[in-house]
Amino acid sequence: MASVNPQHNNAPECVWIILFETFLLGDGEKKITETVVTSMSNCSDFLLKKEDHTLGNLLSEYLKKADKVLFAAYKVAHPNVAEVLLRVQTDGTITPREAFISTCKLLVSQLGHTGREFQKELALRQFADQGDQGGAGDGL
Amino acid sequence: MDYDPMAMDDPESLGPVVKVSESGKVRVKFELSNAELAFANSLRRVMLAEIPTIAIDLVEIEENSTVLADEFIAHRLGLIPLNASGAENLLYSRDCDCDEYCENCSVRLTLHAKCTGDEIMSVCARDLVPSSERINQTLGSPIITDEAGMGSLILKLRPGQSIKLQCIAKKGIAKEHAKWAPSAAIGFEYDPHNKLHHIDLWYEQDPKAEWPPSEYADWEEPPQEGEPFDYDAVANRFYFNVETSGSMPPQEIITEGIKVLQTKLAGLIHELSDEGDGDYNGPRSPEFGGGGVDGGWQDQGYTTPYGNNAGGSWSGPGGGTTPYGQTPYGGSGGWQ
Repeated sequence: MASVNPQHNNAPECVWIILFETFLLGDGEKKITETVVTSMSNCSDFLLKKEDHTLGNLLSEYLKKADKVLFAAYKVAHPNVAEVLLRVQTDGTITPREAFISTCKLLVSQLGHTGREFQKELALRQFADQGDQGGAGDGL
Repeated sequence: MDYDPMAMDDPESLGPVVKVSESGKVRVKFELSNAELAFANSLRRVMLAEIPTIAIDLVEIEENSTVLADEFIAHRLGLIPLNASGAENLLYSRDCDCDEYCENCSVRLTLHAKCTGDEIMSVCARDLVPSSERINQTLGSPIITDEAGMGSLILKLRPGQSIKLQCIAKKGIAKEHAKWAPSAAIGFEYDPHNKLHHIDLWYEQDPKAEWPPSEYADWEEPPQEGEPFDYDAVANRFYFNVETSGSMPPQEIITEGIKVLQTKLAGLIHELSDEGDGDYNGPRSPEFGGGGVDGGWQDQGYTTPYGNNAGGSWSGPGGGTTPYGQTPYGGSGGWQ
């Protein structure tokens, strides 16, 4: 029995699971699952496991702004349970899943843009600082 | 960095705008504008809690004749910032093939000190000696920023006392323990004149006279006398002040934060796009972790596994011409 996984054969395993459960998926857990909400049209619930407000708020705010999305909201039902429930309703021309994916893609590209923008501005700032201090400053 | 001059015509279509006002060894101050509050806040949260760094996680104490208890010292050791450059090539111990830890997933540091003189002796971070078996020669070295070159104080020894221990530094994120936080603090503010009334300032007679103006107060128009409250106004300019704990340059905290957030979103796209092989599921307990899961995500620049988004412009969700148009996920319309 204990030879199944020599790394976790005794008590530390419990500590492990408790410690990591905020960001490590458990056995067979899926990062995201979609459940169609039958009581509303064109509506789905997305359950994000091991995620928090970082993604929940970001996605729900951007879904609200997206075209063809009628409703988007999220909740973290309990602060000790790392799960985000995100409900999305669309106008029917696209599925909630399509709306979700395109919002994710938009955010990835916006973040990429922000990163490039930051690098560009950083180079400018460092260049300007060098000019100001005759190259002697350490920028502290 | 080349950009499309056509896209410059319409600043709104450019996406977030960044302005760096200060950049040094310890801190970077920048303004993020043309973005949502949710966007700025997610970036802040990710920089605080989810950038992988390295910190001492296991301590084997061989000898401790100091006045301090073993666990007290172990805790102090954990909080010492270690150089995290190259941490992306270090495996998480839970994903590594080894039994407990090895040079692919940890850095060993030793501390051996004895007070042989007549005076009280300080044992500092510089006395931690990393072993040479590590993936690069800077990863895991204690950060020393003080002028005396001592590093953070771990403990003090009276004459005759000694300490001997071995530390295992592992990779982790601050969500698990704050010792893995790359940032000492992240300043985050918006709306310096409180035009949006997101905060309710406490005051005795006059909040204007009693509260010092923000450092960024000059950057934005103060409200006009008798100006009506704008119910439609939203926060648009965010002022970040990212201070590093020393483990990585502050500039890198921002780029890494962006990368981590992109990776999270990319994982969701991947999960939802192809039902067939849901192989990527985010970080997972070791029973599932395939050794090198990590490496694949850390690539050059801001390309994600979902395609190259080097094109300057992005389009709205309805546009369908995201940089992901070419990916296998682009045309997935078919879930039932």
